[in-house]
Amino acid sequence: MHAKIASEQAQTAMPSEQARARRPKLRNRVFAKRVGFKVMIFIALTVVALIVIIPFLWMLTTSLKTVTESSTYPPSLLPAVPQWHDYSDVFQAVPFLTYLLNTIFYAACVTIGQYVCCSLAAFAFSRLQFPGRNALFVLYLATILIPTTVTLVPSFIMMKTFGWLDTIWSMTIPGMLGSAFGTFMLRQYMLSIPRELDDAATVDGASLFYIYWKIILPLCKPALTVLAVITIMTVWNDFVWPLIMLQSDSVTTLTLGLANFTSGGSQEFNSIPFNMAASTMTIAPLILVFFFAQRYFIRGIALSGLGGR
Amino acid sequence: MAAITPGSTRPSTWRRRSTKYTVAAYLFITPSFLGVLIFIAFPVFFALYLSLQQWDGITAPQFVGLLNFVNLLKDPIFWISLRNTVVYTVVTVPVGVLLSLGVAQLLNQRVIGMAFFRTAMFVPVVTSGLAIAVIWKWIYDYNNGLINDTLTRLHLAQIPWLSDPTWALIALCIIGIWQGFGFTTILVLAAIQNVPESLLEAASIDGATGWRRFWRITVPLITPTLLFVSIISFISSFQVFTQIYYLTNGGPDYGTYVLYFLVFQRAFVQNRFGEAAALSYIMFAIIFAVTLLQMRLSRNAVNAAAEFEV
Repeated sequence: MHAKIASEQAQTAMPSEQARARRPKLRNRVFAKRVGFKVMIFIALTVVALIVIIPFLWMLTTSLKTVTESSTYPPSLLPAVPQWHDYSDVFQAVPFLTYLLNTIFYAACVTIGQYVCCSLAAFAFSRLQFPGRNALFVLYLATILIPTTVTLVPSFIMMKTFGWLDTIWSMTIPGMLGSAFGTFMLRQYMLSIPRELDDAATVDGASLFYIYWKIILPLCKPALTVLAVITIMTVWNDFVWPLIMLQSDSVTTLTLGLANFTSGGSQEFNSIPFNMAASTMTIAPLILVFFFAQRYFIRGIALSGLGGR
Repeated sequence: MAAITPGSTRPSTWRRRSTKYTVAAYLFITPSFLGVLIFIAFPVFFALYLSLQQWDGITAPQFVGLLNFVNLLKDPIFWISLRNTVVYTVVTVPVGVLLSLGVAQLLNQRVIGMAFFRTAMFVPVVTSGLAIAVIWKWIYDYNNGLINDTLTRLHLAQIPWLSDPTWALIALCIIGIWQGFGFTTILVLAAIQNVPESLLEAASIDGATGWRRFWRITVPLITPTLLFVSIISFISSFQVFTQIYYLTNGGPDYGTYVLYFLVFQRAFVQNRFGEAAALSYIMFAIIFAVTLLQMRLSRNAVNAAAEFEV
């Protein structure tokens, strides 16, 4: 109501003496109300942020407790003395380093593979004319819409037939080649690069590949970064695929390893602080990358419609 | 490098050059296209073939026609899974979308620390579903978990989170909402920020309160984004798996048995690949139908919003 009066006041051309005397009081009240409003919003947002962060904080504090501390009743909020040994225990109790290196290796391979395949195809779809181009692109789009449930079982049987089960091949080749999403995203980006560059290069005698490699691709760096971020995140966090494809420790990923050794049967594996420490170590690398590359993550995830599932 | 060689007007020259060009174009596409063909398109048809067979993965597959589908429809576990999946989705998606709508509007108010809030909310999105399951399993612990601990301090009864079928499903819904809403909020926030300021200012001059402005102007204009967010939330909620596998393994008493979990059980625990494939096709059909329905139902709202696009 006061805002309405204030705005009406603002609209009058020549404020009278009375109005001028009234205005400071109203302005203060409006100002206070606006500030109060903002404070409430800040508090609401803080509550939301806390709800989001607290589970992670709980994970951290629990990982630093002793086993008895975490299972005494009633439980304490913070550890009496931070126990760091669980973090080093993780390295000794499970082949954590192997899992980590495997995951990094898979993420790197798939990202590079995606870079090569998707950018080549995106170049063709965005700048070259050839028969069947539109139909093929529609096919690509259609494959993006296919839910993973449908492809899970046939993929398993295919990997089994190829002999790729429990090897690095099932974790790298399908990811490197089989994704329409990267192509789609890069194509959208490439469409915004002016054709004149291509034409100028062609007049100068450049081959198609040269245009792709030396001109268009370097211009795609932002989109490529976003693609890298999404791909790394997807590969790192993937659970179902490694679950059905892998068995041996030598090829297991970090995420799958976490599931295995936190729900195994032995005494050590039932230690809660140990589980929490392992969990922290599993998500820490990706969260670190996230903090440094936030912009790309958010842009990438907004573009992709994928979440961290 | 002109397209027509000087002095030549014969069509065969033109065609030869464009053939080379076309071949080059196809070469560009080949790696990606092969991949998509082999690892996505082919499995879809293979799954259809599988759904008509009875196969344990070792002996030869046996053609049984639609028997797998019939058996599934007669199987009570299928109906339980369907019910659980529907309940999970019906709770997670609307609550998640509405929550992100609210939080996005809050974030749009330009208070200090916006960047921090955005970052904080996004952390669950970049964390793997499994790590989140590990954390929440401990949070839901009956004796020492965070929630029951707080309840005890408040002298309230402890909740049997993972040992009671109903509470277990609720627990999973909470995790689903918690993990997903950061991502949907960012999308909705981007849409809200695209609403032209001038419209909102005009409304406030006309005396519309903030509440009214939000519901009558902002929300209708962001309907396309809300639809998009609903659809992807639905698709991912319908295929929930990791949390169930880790936290409850479908129990207790099939209380958290969902469709994707049933696919997994049939295929990799019971080695009934044909049924698993059939079930995955039923899921595919449901997802497809509901998505179409969502798009059809909101067509009016989306068209109206599109008319406002400047």
